[in-house]
Amino acid sequence: MKELLKEAIHFLEGRGVEYADARDVRRLFEVVVMKNGEVETASVTESSGFGIRVLHRGAWGFSSSSDATPDGVMAVAKRALAIAEASASVGEPKVLLDGPRTIVDTYETPFDEDPFEVPLSEKLDILGAACAEMARAQEVRIVTASMMNWKTHKLFVSTEGSEIEQTIVEAGGGIAATATDGDDRQTRSYPSSFRGDYAGAGFEFTRSLDLVGNAERVGREAVELLKADECPAKRTTLIVGGTQLALQVHESCGHPIELDRVFGTEASYAGTSFLTVDKLGSFRYGSELVNIVADATLPGGLGTFGYDDEGVAAQRTDIVREGIFCGYLMSRETAPKIGLRSNGAMRADGWNRIPLVRMTNVNLLPGEGTLEDIIADTKDGIFVDSNKSWSIDQRRVNFQFGCEIAWEIKGGKRVRLLKNPVYTGITPEFWGSCDAIAGPEEWHIWGIPSCGKGEPGQTAHVGHGVAPARFLNVQVGVKK
Amino acid sequence: MIEKDEILALLSEVVGKSPADATELVAYGQDSSLTRFANSVIHQNVHEDDHVVIARVAVGKRVGVTETNRIDGEGLTAAIERAMAIARESPEQKDFAGLPKADPAAEVPAYSEETARVSPATRATAVALAAEIGAEKSVVVSGAYRTSVLSLAVANSRGTTQYYDATEAFFSVFATDRSGVSGSMCAYAVSHNDIDVERVARTAVDKCVAARDPVEIEPGPIDVILEPEATAEIMEWLSYTAFGARQVQEGQSFMAGRIGERVMGENITIYDDGLDSAGIPVPFDWEGVPKRRVVLVDAGTAKGPVYDTATAAKDGVESTGHAGPATFRSGPSPSNLFVAPGDDSLDGLIARVGRGLLVTRFHYVNGLLDTKKALMTGMTRDGTFLIEDGKIGRAVKNLRFTESMLRAYSNVDGITRERRTFGGNWGGIGSVTVPTMLVRDFTFTGATEF
Repeated sequence: MKELLKEAIHFLEGRGVEYADARDVRRLFEVVVMKNGEVETASVTESSGFGIRVLHRGAWGFSSSSDATPDGVMAVAKRALAIAEASASVGEPKVLLDGPRTIVDTYETPFDEDPFEVPLSEKLDILGAACAEMARAQEVRIVTASMMNWKTHKLFVSTEGSEIEQTIVEAGGGIAATATDGDDRQTRSYPSSFRGDYAGAGFEFTRSLDLVGNAERVGREAVELLKADECPAKRTTLIVGGTQLALQVHESCGHPIELDRVFGTEASYAGTSFLTVDKLGSFRYGSELVNIVADATLPGGLGTFGYDDEGVAAQRTDIVREGIFCGYLMSRETAPKIGLRSNGAMRADGWNRIPLVRMTNVNLLPGEGTLEDIIADTKDGIFVDSNKSWSIDQRRVNFQFGCEIAWEIKGGKRVRLLKNPVYTGITPEFWGSCDAIAGPEEWHIWGIPSCGKGEPGQTAHVGHGVAPARFLNVQVGVKK
Repeated sequence: MIEKDEILALLSEVVGKSPADATELVAYGQDSSLTRFANSVIHQNVHEDDHVVIARVAVGKRVGVTETNRIDGEGLTAAIERAMAIARESPEQKDFAGLPKADPAAEVPAYSEETARVSPATRATAVALAAEIGAEKSVVVSGAYRTSVLSLAVANSRGTTQYYDATEAFFSVFATDRSGVSGSMCAYAVSHNDIDVERVARTAVDKCVAARDPVEIEPGPIDVILEPEATAEIMEWLSYTAFGARQVQEGQSFMAGRIGERVMGENITIYDDGLDSAGIPVPFDWEGVPKRRVVLVDAGTAKGPVYDTATAAKDGVESTGHAGPATFRSGPSPSNLFVAPGDDSLDGLIARVGRGLLVTRFHYVNGLLDTKKALMTGMTRDGTFLIEDGKIGRAVKNLRFTESMLRAYSNVDGITRERRTFGGNWGGIGSVTVPTMLVRDFTFTGATEF
C-alpha cells in the first residue's frame, strides 16, 4: 500500500501541488457489553481505507476510498486535486503551512497484553461477575458492564518525504448500576460515567480497573442515592472529583484552546472560542494554582501517540501557566498565523476523515495533598463527582454540568449524601476561584473516547490528567 | 456505490452459504461530498466512498456481530466466520427473538439523480453566492454544503431482502460580523434542487444584521417562540431518551408507566412515519422490517414507543420497523419524526406575545438531566430577539434554559402550519419535521456574555 500511496503523491507533485499527504488506516474495534447479566453486544468492526489530502492554489481538497487498487488510489488522487481546484475558486484562500518536515519513523503504543488476544469468554466472565455484584441490592434494576478495545495501524506519506507508521492500542471499560423507586431513578458508575475509563494501553489497563471489585459498592451507592436528599440550590464552595473535573477541563479548556476554532473554522457547527489570540500570554484564565498542559507524550494517555496525522511529532505544550493563558493546540496551517510551528494536534477519525485540531492529553497539573485533606479543610461546601449531563455555549463561556452524586461538607466532613447535583458558571470566573488542587497521589489520566467535532462528524480519543480540586462561590443547583 | 442488483446478489449468496442457524447481512453505503466554508472561503472540501456490511449470526440464541468494509465474497465470509466465533464464545442472548421474515417494503421517493451528480464546482458556486450576499452587509459566512448518496440493503436467512437508496442535500449558513453576533439558517432535502441557496444565505445574513448590539436580560420565565431548528434539537433528544421501546421498558422514558396518560398539551401530536415524503422517507429498518406509522403522543396523550424485533417480542407486539444497527444495540428509535402542524403563522404568533423572546436555535442541548421529566438544558444562539407588544425588537445576549419539555409542551399556545425538515438522529439516515411553536412561561436559568 505504501508504494501505491507514494505513486499517488508523486503524481500530485507532478501536477504542481504545493503539498499532499496520504494516510492508509486499518482499524479493529471491539465492543463487549453485558446488561443484567446477559450479552447485550459482542461485536468486532474492521475498517480499512485511505485518504489523500491536497493543497493546491492555496486551498485544500480531500478524497478517500476503501478501494485500495492501483486504479482506485489514482482515482482518489485525481478527485482530491479536482476538489482542491473547486475550493480555490471561492474568495482568495491562502493556506500556508509551517516549514517542511521529513520524518521516517515508526511508533507503537507500549502494552503488555494485546486486548484482541484475550478470549471473549474471559472478557464476558469479568463483565458478568461485575453485573452480578452490582445487582446484589434489591432496588438495582439495570446493570451494565462494558469494555471497548481498539487497534489502529496508520501509514502516513507526504510530498515532503515523510514515511511514518504507527500502531495505536487502546483499551478500557466501565460499569453502571441504575436503581429505581417509583418515579425516582438513580445511576452510579465506575470508574467514570458513559462506559468507563480508557487508556493508550493493552488489556492490562482494563484488568487494573478491577471492575468486579468495585461493583458491589456501585450498586449500593445507586440505591443510597434513591434515599438521598435533593442537592440544594445555593452559592457555595464546590469540590469537584476527578472524573467530573476531567470533563470540566475538556469542555472549558480543551475545546477553547483549539486554534482552528479560534479562527472560526468550526464556527457554523461546534462554535468558536473566547480565548482569542489577543489574550495569548496575558489573559487570566484561572487562579495562580492553575497550570494546564497539552501533552501527547504522556505514557498511557488516551491522547498519546508518536506523530499526529500531519506527521508532526507528539509534544508537550504549556496551555495555562500559574493561571495565565499561554498556549494553543495547533496545526501546520493555524500555527504560522500566530508566528508559531505546529505542536502536533492534528488528528483524523479514520481514513475517510481529514485531520482537525484535536485535544491530546489536556492535563491540569497536580497541587498537593489529598482529596480528604481538601474536604477536611472545607467548612461548608458540596463535593460532586461523576458526570451525568453537560452543556456549554458556543464560545465555551457559560457551562452547566449535572453529576451522579454529591456530598454536603460541613466542618471538614461529609455529612450528607445528595442527589441530582447541578453546577453552573462562567469559565474564567470558575477557574479563577480555584483555591486547592490535590497532589500527584490523586492525579489520574482519564480517557474519553467520544470527543465529537467537525462535519462530517469525527470522534477523537483524548485524555485528561486531573486531581480533585476546590472552587469558591460556585452556583450549585438551578437558580430560578 | 455498489449497484442494487450486485449488492443484493452478493449478500444473498453469502447468507446462503452461512453455517449459522440464522444469518443477517446489512450493507450501508455512502458516497458523500461535503464542502465546508468559513470566513467566506472554502477551508475543508472532502469526499468519501465506502460500504460497510454488518454481519449478525446466531447459533441457537448465541449471537455474534461483526462489521467490515471488505465488500467481496471473501471479506463477507470472513466476517461471518468471525461473528460465528463470537457467537460460540458468548452465552445465550435471552431477548434474541430471531430474525424477522419481512414483506417487501414500499418504494419511496427518496432519490434524486441530479443530486447524486452534484460536482464540487456546483457546491463552490453556492458558497460563492453566500459569500457575496454576506459581503453586501459586511458579514462573513461559514457553513457546509453536503450532497450524498446513501444505500441500505438487508438480506437474511429467512428470505428477507430489502434495498433502499436515497440522496440528501444539506446547506447551512452561519453569518457573523466583526462584533461576533451571528445568524444562521439551513435547509435539508432529498434533492439539491429543493435547496434555495439564496434564501438560506439571506436569512442567515439578515438575522446576523438584526442581532447586532444585543442587550442583556435577566434570566427567568418568559414566553418564547421556538423556531423549527430549536424544536428539532429537542425532538432529537426525545428520540434518544424517550421514544424508543427500550427507554420505556427500562424506565428511562417519560412515557414509562404513563402510556394512556396526558403528558403534554392537547395541541401536541408527535408521530413517526417512514413513508411520509414531507420528511425524508425511509421504508424499512436495519433488520429489513417495513416501517409502520407510529403515533407517539396523540393530542397530548402518551401512546407508546417505536419497536424493533427484540423489544417488540418482550412486549408481545410486532416490530414497528425501527431497529438500529446491530453493532451497537442502543434500541429502536424514530427515523422520520414529525410534530403535527397547527394553523398559525409566524407573524400571528409574534402578534400574540406581550413580552417574550424569539429563539432561532439552541446550542449544545443536553437531555440527560432527568429523563423521566424530559428535563433539558441548553443555550440559545444565532439570533435571540425580544418581542414586545407583538413586535420583534432588540436582539438579546444568549441565555441558558433549564426546562422540562413535558411542562413546556403543556404550555404551547400556538403552532404554525409551516414546518421545516432537518436531518435526524445526529446525522444518520432519517429526518425530523417540525413547526414553530409559541411556548408560554419557558424557563431561562442563566446568561452568557455575548
